[in-house]
Amino acid sequence: MSAVLQQAGKAEKGVLKGAIRIEDVVKIYDPDGAAVMAVDHCSLDIPAGEICMIVGPSGCGKTTLLNAIAGFHSITSGSIYLDDELLCGPGKPMAQPGSDRIVVFQNGALFPWKSNLDNVAFGLMMQGKLGKKEIYDKARSMMADAGLSGTEHNFPGEVSSGLRRRVEIVRALMNEPKVLLFDEPYRALDSLTKSVMHEALLEIYYKNKVTIFFITHDLEEAIFLGHRLVIMTSRPCKPKKIIDVDIPHPRDYSVLTSTRYRQLMDETVELVHEEAKKAFSAGEKEG
Amino acid sequence: MNIKRFRKELFSRSKLRAIIAIFVFLALWELGSRSNEWFGFTPPWIGHVPAPTAVLVAWYALLGDPGYWQSWYLSTLRVLAGFFAAMLIGIPLGLFMAVNKTFNGIVFPAFEILRPIPPLAWVPASIIFWPTQELSIAFVTFLGAFYTIVINVVGGAKSIDVRFFQSAQSMGSSQWDVFRRVVLPATLPSIVVGSAVGMGITWEVVVAAEMISGGGGGETGSGGGLGFFIWNSYVGGSYEQIVVGMISIGIAGFICSELLRKLGSFFTPWLKKR
Amino acid sequence: MEIDQTVALLKRSMPFQTVPNDVLEAIAKLARYESYARGDVIYHQGDFADDVYIVSSGAVQHTLGIGFQAIHPEKILHSGDVFGWAAVLENQRSRLAKTVCLERTELIRINGEELINLFKASPETGDIVMSRFATMINKEYTLPEEVAGHVPHFTQVPVTVATGLTLTMFRLSQWLKSPKPYLMLTGFGILLATWYFTVEVWKLPRFVDMPGLTEVFKEWFSKDPIYGLSIYTPEYYQHIWVSVRRILIAFFLATVLGVPLGLFLGWSKTFREYVFPVFETLRPIPILAWVPLAILMFQGSETPVIFLTFLASFYATALNTMLGVETIDESYSRAAACLGASKWQTFKEVIVPGAMPFIFTGLQISIGVAWFSLVAGEMVSGEFGLGYVINTSYTMVRYPTIVIGMITLGIVGYVSSALVRVAGDYMMQWRVRELALGGR
Repeated sequence: MSAVLQQAGKAEKGVLKGAIRIEDVVKIYDPDGAAVMAVDHCSLDIPAGEICMIVGPSGCGKTTLLNAIAGFHSITSGSIYLDDELLCGPGKPMAQPGSDRIVVFQNGALFPWKSNLDNVAFGLMMQGKLGKKEIYDKARSMMADAGLSGTEHNFPGEVSSGLRRRVEIVRALMNEPKVLLFDEPYRALDSLTKSVMHEALLEIYYKNKVTIFFITHDLEEAIFLGHRLVIMTSRPCKPKKIIDVDIPHPRDYSVLTSTRYRQLMDETVELVHEEAKKAFSAGEKEG
Repeated sequence: MNIKRFRKELFSRSKLRAIIAIFVFLALWELGSRSNEWFGFTPPWIGHVPAPTAVLVAWYALLGDPGYWQSWYLSTLRVLAGFFAAMLIGIPLGLFMAVNKTFNGIVFPAFEILRPIPPLAWVPASIIFWPTQELSIAFVTFLGAFYTIVINVVGGAKSIDVRFFQSAQSMGSSQWDVFRRVVLPATLPSIVVGSAVGMGITWEVVVAAEMISGGGGGETGSGGGLGFFIWNSYVGGSYEQIVVGMISIGIAGFICSELLRKLGSFFTPWLKKR
Repeated sequence: MEIDQTVALLKRSMPFQTVPNDVLEAIAKLARYESYARGDVIYHQGDFADDVYIVSSGAVQHTLGIGFQAIHPEKILHSGDVFGWAAVLENQRSRLAKTVCLERTELIRINGEELINLFKASPETGDIVMSRFATMINKEYTLPEEVAGHVPHFTQVPVTVATGLTLTMFRLSQWLKSPKPYLMLTGFGILLATWYFTVEVWKLPRFVDMPGLTEVFKEWFSKDPIYGLSIYTPEYYQHIWVSVRRILIAFFLATVLGVPLGLFLGWSKTFREYVFPVFETLRPIPILAWVPLAILMFQGSETPVIFLTFLASFYATALNTMLGVETIDESYSRAAACLGASKWQTFKEVIVPGAMPFIFTGLQISIGVAWFSLVAGEMVSGEFGLGYVINTSYTMVRYPTIVIGMITLGIVGYVSSALVRVAGDYMMQWRVRELALGGR
C-alpha cells in the first residue's frame, strides 16, 4: 500500500475499514459428478483502502473468488474475513450478501425499469434507514458529484454505457460500503471510453477511499488503477505473482506514458500471456 | 462410481420433491373422490371425479380390450395424417411466402383473415364438405397445425440475418444454392418450433373433432378414437373411463411431442448446447 | 445521388410532399448524401442539432428521451421518413432522440438553417412545410403540441399543428402508391371468387353442398332471415354476448390466478420443485379432453364451458409468466441482494417488473387459446354462444348460419386479441411513464 494513500486515509477518516483476508480458499464445482477445481488453496491479504487488481485469463476462476466474497457462491474449504469478521469459512460455507460489499457487474445490473435516480436510491430505500426525501436528496447530490446531473430521470437504457457504469458505481457508493467488488465492469467498453472511465473511477476513489477488489484481464487497466496486481494462474486459480505498483497516487492519464509504467508492463506481460495460452488450450480441449 | 451417481440422480432433491408433490396430489384426489363413501360428505367439484384407484382398476380392465387400443390407433392415425399434410403444404407455402413478395402480398392478408376462426369452428363445414368423416376430422386436424407451421416458417425465413445472404453471394452461390444452403437450414429451427406447437394443437383438435362428430370410424361405428372413447364413456356413464381416456391422450400427445423434439434436435445439431 | 432522385425522395416524405417542383429542386441542392453501416449511431440525445435527415433506404431506430413525454418514444424509420427535425425547431438546438441504424442505411441530410433561409424566399410554401413538420412531430412522433408548435413560420399567419387528417391522408396516399393494397385485394378476390364460383356457378361436386357466398351474405344482412339469424335479429347479439361474457370471466380469472402462480413458480425454487411436477403432469392432457369431466365436476352448462376456457388461458398465462421470471438476468437479483433488499423486496422490485413484458405476451396467447377452447366447449355442451350456433346450425341443417357463426367468431376473436395487444402496449407505456415520474 502506498504511503500517500495511507496518509490520506488517516487524515480523513482515522482508521480505514474494509480489509479482506482470504485464507486457503478452495472451491470445487461438482456439476455432474465430475469435480472441477475452480480455486486452489488461494490466500490473499488486502489491506483496507487498497485497490487490488486481480489479473487472469477469462474463465480462470477469479469470478468464483469474487462471488464467494459477495455471498453468491459457497466455498469448499478455507475462510474469508472482512475486518477480522468471518464472512464464510468452516461451518458457514456461504457468506450473506450485504451492503458492506457491493458488486459492480460485468454487464451492468442497473435495473432497466427504474430511472437512474431510482436506481441510485434503491439500496437505501430497501434498507429503510432513512426517509425518502433524505435518500433522494443524497442520491441527487451524489449523482451531481459524479458529474451525472441531468441524467437523473433518464432510464439506464437511454444513456451511454460509460455513463451507466458510473451510475452503477454511484449506486453502490450510496450505501457507504467497505468494499467494492468489480467484476470486469469495463469489459464491453471501447478503449477510448475505458480510459475516461478509469480516470472517473480514480476520482471517485480519491473522494471515498473504499477497498476495491477489481477483476480484469486487461493489464493496462490493472497497472493504471491498482496499488497491487495479483496475477492469477489459469484454472484452478491461485495467486501466481503479486506485484506492487509503485506509481504514486493520485494518478492521471500521463501515467500511461511514464517509464515506470512501461517497465511494469514489460515485467508482467509475459506472466499473463503464459497463463492466457494455458487457458486457451484448455478451453480448446473442453470444446 | 456410476452406481453412486445414479443413486444421487435418483434421489436428488428435486426428483424427491416431484414424487412427493405428485403423491400428495393423488392422495388429495383420492380423499376428495372417496369422501362421499368414507365420510358421507361430497366436497364440491372434486367430489364428482372418480378416484385414482378406481381409474387404475378401470384402466387395468381396458388393457385387454382391443377397442381401447383401436381408439389409440385411430386417433394417432388422424393426428399423423393431419400433421403431415400440414407440414407438406405449410412448409413450402411458408417458404414461398417469405421469398416472394408479390405472392406474400396476395396470400398473407387472406391467410390472416381466415386465421382468427378457431379450427374447431370448421368441424360442421368440414363434415358437410368431405365425403367421409375420417377425412373431415383429418381436415380439421390439418387446419390446427397448418396456421402455426406457416406463421413460424414465414417468421423464421424472414428473420434470417442479411449477412448470411451477403456472405453466400460473395462466395459465389447461385440463387438455388442460397435457397438450399442458407434459407432452408436457417429456417429449420423455426420449422421445428412450429411443428412442435402444431403437434400439440393437433391433439387438442383431434379430441374435440372426434367428440363433436361422434367418432367416425366408418360403417362399423365401433371405436372412433380416444376423443370419442371419452365422450362415449361419459354418455354411457362409466366415469372412470373418462379419466382413463384423458390420461391416454395425455400420454399419446406427450410421446408424439417428445419424438418430434428428438427428431428436431437431430435435424438441427448446431443448436445443441455445449 | 442525382437531383431528380433526391426530388423523388423528398416527394415521398411527409413534410415535402406538396412542395412545388422548383422549390424541391432548390432543396435537393442543399441535400448531402450519406451512408451508414448497421449499428452506427447517427446522433445521440443532446448532440447539436444541425441537419434534418430523410431516410432513402434501410432502417433507423429513433428513440426519444423520456423527458419529452412522447406517448411512443420508440419508432423505426424507413425510406421516406424524416427525422432530426430538431434542426428546424426555433427553441431547440440539441437532439431530442438517439438514432441508430438497424441495417445498412442511406440517407440525405439538409442543414436546418439553410432550409429555413431558403423558405424565406417562398414563405407560403415554407409555412405549409413547417405545418406538416409540426403535424409529423405531434402525430407521428407522438410528442405534445408545445414541442411541435416551435416550428418557424414565414408569413404573418402563425403555424398551426394540422389535425390528424393531413397525416392520415398522407399515409393513405403512400399506401395506395405501394403495391400492397392491390395485392391484398387480389388475394381477397381470389378467395371469394373461388368460394363463389366453385359453389354457386360451377356447382362442383362436394362444393355444391356447401353454403354459397351470396347465400351466406344475403342471409347475414337480411331483415327477415330464412334461418332466423342475421345482424337484424337480437338473438345474433345475444349469442355474441354470451360468448364474450364467458371469455371475459375466464380470461379475468386466468390472469388473476395465473400471473401470481407463474411469478412464484419462477421465483421460488422450492415452490417450483413441489408444484411444477403436478402442473406438468396435467398439462399434456388436451383442454378439450376435459369436457366430460368438467360437466361432471361443475354441473349445469355454463360453468363447465367457462372452466375449459379458463384452463386453457391459465396454462398459457402461468407458463409465460414463469418463463419471464426465468429469463431475468441473475445479476439483477444479486445486485438487489448486495444493496440490502430482502427476498420479498427483491420479488417486488426486480422479479415483477422484469417479468412484465413476458406477462403481456402470455396474455396475448392466453386470449387466443381462450377462444379456441370456448368454441369447443360451446359446441359440445353449450346452450348459447357462437360455438353453439355453429354446431346446432349443422344439426338443424341451417347451413348458411354455420358460416355466419364462423365469420362472426373470427371477427370477435380478432377484435379481442387486438384489444389485449393495445391494452398491453398501453399498460407498458403507462408503467414506463409512472416509473419515469416516480422519482420526481
